[in-house]
Amino acid sequence: MIPGLVHILLWQGAGELVSHFILPHIPGPVIGLVLLLGFLALRGPVPDSMALVSDAFSQHLGLLFVPAATGVILFLPQLRQHAWAVVLALFSSVILTIAVTAVVLKVTSPGGDSE
Amino acid sequence: MNKSLPIHEIWVYLSGSPLLALILTLTAYQIGYVLYMRSQRNPIVNPVAIAVVIVAVCLQLLDMPYTKYFEGAQFVHFLLGTATVSLAIPIYRGLSGLKGRVIPLLLALVAGGLTSIFSAVGISYWLGADQAIVGAMVSKSVTAPIAMGVAERLGYSPTLTAVFAVVTGILGAILARFVLDGLGMKAWWQRGFAIGVAAHGIGTSRAFSVHPEAGTYSSLAMGLHGILGAVAIPMLAGYIPTF
Repeated sequence: MIPGLVHILLWQGAGELVSHFILPHIPGPVIGLVLLLGFLALRGPVPDSMALVSDAFSQHLGLLFVPAATGVILFLPQLRQHAWAVVLALFSSVILTIAVTAVVLKVTSPGGDSE
Repeated sequence: MNKSLPIHEIWVYLSGSPLLALILTLTAYQIGYVLYMRSQRNPIVNPVAIAVVIVAVCLQLLDMPYTKYFEGAQFVHFLLGTATVSLAIPIYRGLSGLKGRVIPLLLALVAGGLTSIFSAVGISYWLGADQAIVGAMVSKSVTAPIAMGVAERLGYSPTLTAVFAVVTGILGAILARFVLDGLGMKAWWQRGFAIGVAAHGIGTSRAFSVHPEAGTYSSLAMGLHGILGAVAIPMLAGYIPTF
């Protein structure tokens, strides 16, 4: 697991450097993600130790945003005041997004919606 | 007389170190996760939402300011970047699914991504929400770790973005079935991809529990949407109203 973690941290570092010096509007970790994706595409299968780290992160990704999301307590008055706007926007947006994505797929796929 | 001192001292010591915040965060998440597994992964029993409520109540009871809590919990928060980089692995595994379907998938991704931004921003703006809320709507369909990074760079609240992203994921995971059935969508790969574009990680775990092919395509959609969002949202930000 450790070699995989080191590997991933190095790509994160590379991403941060590129973000800082070349592409300031893209977050460093996203650049690290793209660089690692390019590396995997060139060098073939995912090393086992890296897969272990990645699977652990994906399974408990939610844990990592608990500290930031708890900050919602600072926004409660604001959210209460605009509750309807927030609820309607989130509801409609997710329904529309699923629908538009699905319809575009159906219309543009050569076989329509066949399996 | 001195007997009561140790407890007080321990308390002062603990609340000054990151340990208390870390114990609180991990225990709350663990409770949320156990409840989620017990509910057979029902999206409504979301571990993050449960953990946030538990931590918030505890902070209230302990009379601990949020900034103090975050000082300790930032060690968990820091790993978001590392977790983002490691998303390359599921994307890489899903890439084979692109074969022969590149054009429909990319068109659907762009159309879905634009819909998610403009519908959420448009509706919340039109209903009079303030700038912090409208700004946090911009990247809420992107997977939370990336969405928060994007929001931070653009000067929107990462906290509200994370909250809207989680709520979007929960809603998407619950509602997708009805929307997709209503549209008569049959192919699992198309159903999965639509869920992944709209409802990122939470939608993806729902898709995996329904059908493996739906899960693979949902995971691919979530990863591609993450990359596209990080690259395109900063460019679009200039065209989004109110800013």
